[in-house]
Order: sequence, then C-alpha cells, then structure tokens
Amino acid sequence: MSAEYDVEFVEREDRDARFLVQGITPAFANGIRRAMLADVPTMAIDTVRFVENSSVMFDEQLALRLGLVPLTTPPVGEFVEDDTVTLSIDVEGPATAYSGDLVSSDDLVQPADENVPIIDLKDGQRLEAEADAVLDRGKDHAKHQGGVAVGYRHLQRVAAVEDLPEFEEPDRRIVRGVIEEDGELVPTSEFDHDLSNRYPGQEVTLEDVPNSFVFHVETDGSFSVEELVTRAADTIESRATELENAVQL
Amino acid sequence: MSYKCSRCKRDVQLDEYGGVRCPYCGHRVLLKERSRDVKEVDVN
Repeated sequence: MSAEYDVEFVEREDRDARFLVQGITPAFANGIRRAMLADVPTMAIDTVRFVENSSVMFDEQLALRLGLVPLTTPPVGEFVEDDTVTLSIDVEGPATAYSGDLVSSDDLVQPADENVPIIDLKDGQRLEAEADAVLDRGKDHAKHQGGVAVGYRHLQRVAAVEDLPEFEEPDRRIVRGVIEEDGELVPTSEFDHDLSNRYPGQEVTLEDVPNSFVFHVETDGSFSVEELVTRAADTIESRATELENAVQL
Repeated sequence: MSYKCSRCKRDVQLDEYGGVRCPYCGHRVLLKERSRDVKEVDVN
C-alpha cells in the first residue's frame, strides 16, 4: 500500500462519524470495514447465573438479552481475552429492569446506555442474577461487534457542464453520500440528496473519485469512533505481522 | 419445597406412598416449583 494517504472528517460525534480517506485501495477500505465489524474485541456478557427469576421469561431468553447489552470496553492493555468482569442485577416488580440496573464490579466496564429495557416485571416478580462479561470479537458472536452500521462509498465529484434548455422540466438526480464540489466536501443531506436542488437548470456530471472513500461509522457505545477505527487498523497490522512471521523461514 | 397445591396453594412434599395428592386438601393437581439453586446459563 502506498504510504501517502489523507483523512478528513465530514461529521464527527462520539458514536457516529463520517470521514473521507484518500489514497487507499478499495481492498484496504474494505479490510478496514471488515475489521471494524469482526475483529475489534469488545466486552459483552457471556455467562449469567440466575439466583431468582420469577419473571414471565425463561432464563435463556433473559441471558440472551443481557448478552446483547453494549458495555464500555476498557483501553487496550487493561484486559486480555479470558478476563472476566462481574455485573449483577437485582430488580423487584412492579418495575422494568433496565441495563442501567446492572451494577459492575469494574468502573471501566459499564453499560454503555442506561435505558436498554431488559424485562418488564409485574407485582411480586423478581429478577436477581449475576453475569460475567468477557472480551471477544465480532467474529465469534454479534454481541461483540463494536461497530454497527459501518460502510463506505466513493467520494463523488460533481461538475456543472451546461445549462439546461429553457422551459425544460428538470429531472431529479438522487445521490447519497458526500460530494466534492470545487474541492469542498458537501454531504448530500444538505440538499435533500437531490442534485437538481443544488444545480437548478443545469446539466451536471457525476463521477467517482478514484481511491477516495467516505466512511460512515457508528459504534454501539463500547468506545468512540476514533478508538474503533484505530483498533481496527491495529488488528489488521497485527495479523499482517503474524502472516509475515509465518512465511519467513 | 418442590410442589405446590394448585387449590390450597400450600407447599407439598411428595413421598412414595401418598401418590400424587395434596395431604391438606386432597387436590390432585400439584404445581412444580422452581428449584432454589442458582442456574448458570451460557449466552449464545
């Protein structure tokens, strides 16, 4: 891969970001996307010990729900695979048990959201359980996916070529993603994804910019987008190193 | 405490002689209670 590449953020929030990467091959872009989905380890509940469950649901169903609760993942090096963190929950009806009711034994591993409903408990029903969270990868179970809704599109370059003939009804020209307009990046949501709104009465050309990809990345709350992308790149690097060492005699 | 009579709601211990019958009210429908021990479940 060429060493020269360039990253520019279009939108940036903690859990949701859109950024442009220029100068990478489609293969590398897809590698990053796949690594974000499947290769970045995150914490998730893996075993649950039920002390009391008089709710209307089976233990196994509740265990699955608890497993799908996103947990914050500690910084690299704090944990290794097979380390466990215990979380406990004790809710008595009438009430709804939420992910926020989970009490963790480690400050670094907490439910990422407080408001994920687990089960609605009626009068006299009670849920008391203890759960072990482990570090694992999206490859092994979807509950360990740090990146949800991860994808990329080519950056598209727009140029107005000529005016449309007078009185001609303009056709809608739907584009999604981010366009480049004289070097400026414009998300298509700014003009309702319709180029005829931005260039009324003009004929426009649209072309993919080679080796420029606009990533849209959303995390489940385990960590920030920056953290997800850098960890994904690190996993690619470590696997590449592993391969390099394996083929050397 | 392994069964509960469905009519008088009392806890019932079954032995090998009495058959399936509540010793307090004679009702023949008994409900099995959830055991007290901690149940471990794998998430998968």
